[in-house]
Amino acid sequence: MTLGTDTPDTPDTADAADPAAPVPAAGGPSRPVRSRHTARWVGVGVLVVAAGLVAVLATRPPASVSEVYSPLVSHQAPRISGTTVDGARFSLPAHPGRFVVLNFFASWCEPCQTEGPDLVQFQFAHQQSDDATLVSVVFDDEPKVAGLYQAQIGATWPTLADPGGKLALAFGVRAPPSTFVIAPDGRVVAYIVAPVTAADLDQIIADAKATHA
Amino acid sequence: MNGTLGHTGVLLGFAAAVVGAVVIAVGLLRGRGSTMRSGQLYAPVILLGGIVAVVAMEHALVVHDFSLTYVADNNSRSTPLLYSVTGLWSALAGSILLWALVLGGYATAMVWRFRRRSDEPLVAWATLVVYAVAAFFFGLMLGPADPFQHIVGAIPTNGLGPNTLLQDNPLVLIHPPLLYLGFVGFTLPFAFAVASLITGRLDEDWQSETRRWTLFAWAFLTMGILLGAWWSYEVLGWGGFWGWDPVENAALLPWLVGTAYLHSVMVQQRRGLLRIWNLSLVVAMFSLTILGTFLTRSGVIQSVHAFSDSDLGPLLLGFFGLVLVTGVGLIAWRGDRLRSPGGIDSPVSREGAFLANNLLFVAFALIVLLGTVFPLLYQALNGGSVTVGAPYFNRFFIPVGLCLLFLMAVAPALPWRKTTVEVMRSRLTVPAAVGVLVVVACVIAGIHGVEPLLAFGLGGFAAASAARALVLSVRSAWRTARSGGAAPVRAALAGWRGLVGRANGGMVVHIGVVVIAVGLAAATSFIHRGELLLARGQTETFAGHTVTFVGTRIVTTPSHTAEQAVLRVDRGTFTPAISQFGTGTQAVGTPAIDSSWRDDVYLTIVSIPDKGAVWTFGVVEQPLVMWLWIGAGLMAAGSVLSAVPGRRRRPTDPVSAPVVQAVPPAAMDGDPSDRSVDGPEPDPLPVGAGDPS
Amino acid sequence: MGVVLVVALVVGTGVLHSSPPTAAQRAAAIDADIRCPSCEDLSVAESSAPTAVTVRATVRQLVDAGQSDQQIQQYLVARYGSSIVLDPPAHGWSLLVWVLPLAGVAVAVAGLGTVLYRRRGVVDGGPGTGTDRTDGPAGVGEDPATKAARRRFLEQSLADADAEYLAGDLSDRDYLALRRRDMSRLAALGAAPVDEGPGEGAVVPATAGSGQAGPAAGGGVLVAEPALGVEAGTGQLADTPASTAPTATTRRKRRTWLFLVGAVASFAAALLLALTLFTSNRLPGQTETGGVTLSQAQQVQQDLGEAATYENEGDATQAVDLYQAVLTRHPDNEVALAQLGWLEFQTGRTAKSTVLIADGRAKLNRAVVLDPGDYAARLYLGTVLLLQGGDVTGAVGEYRHFLADAPPPSLLDQAAPELRQAFEEAGLPVPSQVPAT
Repeated sequence: MTLGTDTPDTPDTADAADPAAPVPAAGGPSRPVRSRHTARWVGVGVLVVAAGLVAVLATRPPASVSEVYSPLVSHQAPRISGTTVDGARFSLPAHPGRFVVLNFFASWCEPCQTEGPDLVQFQFAHQQSDDATLVSVVFDDEPKVAGLYQAQIGATWPTLADPGGKLALAFGVRAPPSTFVIAPDGRVVAYIVAPVTAADLDQIIADAKATHA
Repeated sequence: MNGTLGHTGVLLGFAAAVVGAVVIAVGLLRGRGSTMRSGQLYAPVILLGGIVAVVAMEHALVVHDFSLTYVADNNSRSTPLLYSVTGLWSALAGSILLWALVLGGYATAMVWRFRRRSDEPLVAWATLVVYAVAAFFFGLMLGPADPFQHIVGAIPTNGLGPNTLLQDNPLVLIHPPLLYLGFVGFTLPFAFAVASLITGRLDEDWQSETRRWTLFAWAFLTMGILLGAWWSYEVLGWGGFWGWDPVENAALLPWLVGTAYLHSVMVQQRRGLLRIWNLSLVVAMFSLTILGTFLTRSGVIQSVHAFSDSDLGPLLLGFFGLVLVTGVGLIAWRGDRLRSPGGIDSPVSREGAFLANNLLFVAFALIVLLGTVFPLLYQALNGGSVTVGAPYFNRFFIPVGLCLLFLMAVAPALPWRKTTVEVMRSRLTVPAAVGVLVVVACVIAGIHGVEPLLAFGLGGFAAASAARALVLSVRSAWRTARSGGAAPVRAALAGWRGLVGRANGGMVVHIGVVVIAVGLAAATSFIHRGELLLARGQTETFAGHTVTFVGTRIVTTPSHTAEQAVLRVDRGTFTPAISQFGTGTQAVGTPAIDSSWRDDVYLTIVSIPDKGAVWTFGVVEQPLVMWLWIGAGLMAAGSVLSAVPGRRRRPTDPVSAPVVQAVPPAAMDGDPSDRSVDGPEPDPLPVGAGDPS
Repeated sequence: MGVVLVVALVVGTGVLHSSPPTAAQRAAAIDADIRCPSCEDLSVAESSAPTAVTVRATVRQLVDAGQSDQQIQQYLVARYGSSIVLDPPAHGWSLLVWVLPLAGVAVAVAGLGTVLYRRRGVVDGGPGTGTDRTDGPAGVGEDPATKAARRRFLEQSLADADAEYLAGDLSDRDYLALRRRDMSRLAALGAAPVDEGPGEGAVVPATAGSGQAGPAAGGGVLVAEPALGVEAGTGQLADTPASTAPTATTRRKRRTWLFLVGAVASFAAALLLALTLFTSNRLPGQTETGGVTLSQAQQVQQDLGEAATYENEGDATQAVDLYQAVLTRHPDNEVALAQLGWLEFQTGRTAKSTVLIADGRAKLNRAVVLDPGDYAARLYLGTVLLLQGGDVTGAVGEYRHFLADAPPPSLLDQAAPELRQAFEEAGLPVPSQVPAT
């Protein structure tokens, strides 16, 4: 292999012959000469750091599923009250007495459309067992349009208008669909930023009941 | 048919890259020059493969061939021709195709340039590395990023059309190609660096070759980044041009390291120092390019500029690891033995200034890298999420930028080796006075704020220093021409030679940077944001401009419908709009901008009332935004000027060595001749005049 | 010149006459640090998304309520999580992102300083104590090619020094010192082998373009004459090799050098630190010529809408509060004036408070003056004139304006009784627009 012929094949002896021990220089105070392997050590260091970086990068989940953190989980939920899209007043007590599923949606939001039927199903099931209420909140949308949308999917539960986005801010909602599950004592037990399914909700409620039974 | 043709092209490119690499490897193993030379012939074949594939894709886009998934996802029947053509690079798989094409082009150029030395091991190794990279990118297209994938199921009658933000502005035609010319161009210096390390040949000849390729790629990358900023400004609607977005940072990182390299390589050419450092910078440049490619295509970060999620992530990350291990490993193995045989004499010298420049650029690059990946690191450590946004980066950018402005002012006048206070004082008094004058004038004009004032003052200082260097260079060109016996007019015209060449082009680039810095400081420090509620016919004033809402109109073209608001700003008419491209897509806001050399008024429609007459408009007034684009033009001009060869010199000729031993003229200003020597008074060409290229 | 600069900067920074930030400026400054919840990486100040508008409104309310910046940030973090703040927090793991850059820069500067110090050569006339390869025991364990490379480097260095000296870049003392050092190093390397040429694949000196192999610069015959001349003139002897032991002068010079470098480095570091930590990372509202007028326009619209909702529900107190709030910030908002005036009038009538009635009437008058085309204000004012002052003519006048402004049918229906009453009392025909009751 032609590697060039300038350095004869004694690289290591050349290094070994380096004055690693203090040798008085031709004209200076004797001082320990630094090891000349700077490049080697720096290179190793860089590779170690880079390996760590690569390991971190390789294990990251895609960003679209990363932001599922809410500081409200395990804390008291803010007060849910407002006007519905039909103009009626609506409010829930601080201790609702049953599970509350609070769903933020918008008519222009495509993933919301996939969860619509599931919500209807959930509402129907739990209306009968009366252990959970469903409340929707309009996020960044016109109340009338959102109201029409709800009517189209066959929603019979209250849909709050949230003018000014105050409720969205209180719950820290960034984008629809966002769903909160609130326990009967008012604590937030779950926060989902993806379209929910009825099965998911049922599971969450069952888990919450089990932990606090 | 397009799909088959495309696949053929990709396969051809991949096969040529692999076979070429094997042939060269065999040649290197056996030590046979003829084999190595024949290995070079595969580069044009790679390029041919790329061309065939690109032609196939463009054809498919232009004729709206929806049998290809890529075309169905990124094109529609109503897409105008321009945006069909740019659809090649508007999405992930096509961008890889463009990358492969540009790489094929660079490989061919490299092989052609070194056709006479193709049997040298160094050239062979470099070509081998380039082939390996090409094999990787063509290979990506054979697997996860296949642009010619046939659609599954029935062929749709119409496609989805390109991303709405990508068909809003014609700048999409130039920005990505320029950017790729830059990114991909960094492959060649990397290949040469690896080859140099393997063969042990670190002589300055090859370094100047590497420098030339880097300068070429760097110039395109600079233009690509600046055009990207301009494009964001024109399209995104928030009135800003740089948001320290992770994708923007990914493009900036190689640029920062490249700029550091372009400066420190001058030290190597002049004095033969900093060899290993320069090699490290080249390796870092290319590694950061690949890392940036990974960040923008893997989906680990969320950004309005990023491509969609894909499976490319692990492959790109693996490639990044491979590149880093190869480069750093080689440096660690051979580096200590190939060190420069000398050291820097004094920190107060041009070498010292370049070292400081490198320190600042590399430190800032590391800070940007840290800030960009830190949310991911934090998530890995802690599970929580944290944002590292513009305020963090600006906090470090401002001091670093100010220090760099100062260095830009001082370095052109610094001699090599070592200098004294007297020399510096005599050379820099006038530029420093200009800087102080600028500050005083600004304060008198009522401009307040420590960062803008410092930026303006240091900018004035740096611009005056660069201008001084240019003036001296032009004067010395005149003198050379005159002493060469030319007629006065001819000699005067020959002054153009003082403007070309590496050092002088560099001074023009510096002036461009100063203009950009001043524009940046002004636009970010004195910005006014607000909203105007206007009914038809109403007028309001905002930040010194009058805005009148004249009326509205609806514009329909085959590709989009736009509801425009006609606004009169001062005396001009501007129409911000809300546009809908195709059907069923979300509407996007299109801003309108009233630019003048003094300030920009940026108008957007925030909301249209359903009933009622009052529209809400967003207004942003920023001073000196146009200076950014003027500065960009100056940087481009300076890059072109520095490519023109200047006076012929040996690369390591001291900059101040006189080219012609002329009749001793009067001493130049600022050059101390504090010797009463009995020798001949030499031609005291000042440092920085002429060009040692 | 330095004095002028300092004075200008001091004046310019506005330290001499800076005023505390207004509420709008404070809100703007806080807004620039909060991320817009539904955007990618814009701040709340820059984005016009509805979530951003809501956050801005809330921030403004909290600022008006007297909360501190910290408290406001905490308020938002408690709802959105810590990623709502654009600056990473300075505690816990994220402290790393602040510490690492500063520590890195400090380490780099220190390292650079150390390297330069060790390699500083003969700057102060001291011995060449660099650890570079031209020093040290010559020829120990070194191959000929490396020695040749070093020799070439030194010869080049000598030639460069000559040229630079002649061009006036080097001072006498530095030139002499450099020359002495390089000559002694050349001597230590030993005589150059005669037939040594560039070895194959050896580190080839830069000969591109000119083919010159010799070290002599193209610049002409560079002789030692001038140097010797000066040397003789100043009495320095060129033949003494570099002193073998550091003299007192050298030590003193070294200390001075160290002190200077340390001072400059610490000053630079302090400046960097100060700029990094204390300067604002962006702009608005901090300077006197710059400012951010985040208009409350959209906020006003929403407040008015909310108040209208309250009114519809019959919650007059809330509505009044909201209208008052709008008027505090925008005293000329005619919608708020009209509605509030009407509410006050009604309350005043019920509570028999003449003050309230007069206040309400004044507001309505003002609203009508500000916006003559506002049918609601016209209606209210007309009704007030009718009910309170018995000013039938005035009422009719206002009602005519009301009818001319194309009011919606629902309002017409509601107001029909009063309209009829007014016209009939004035003895005028009831306009056809007014629906039959």
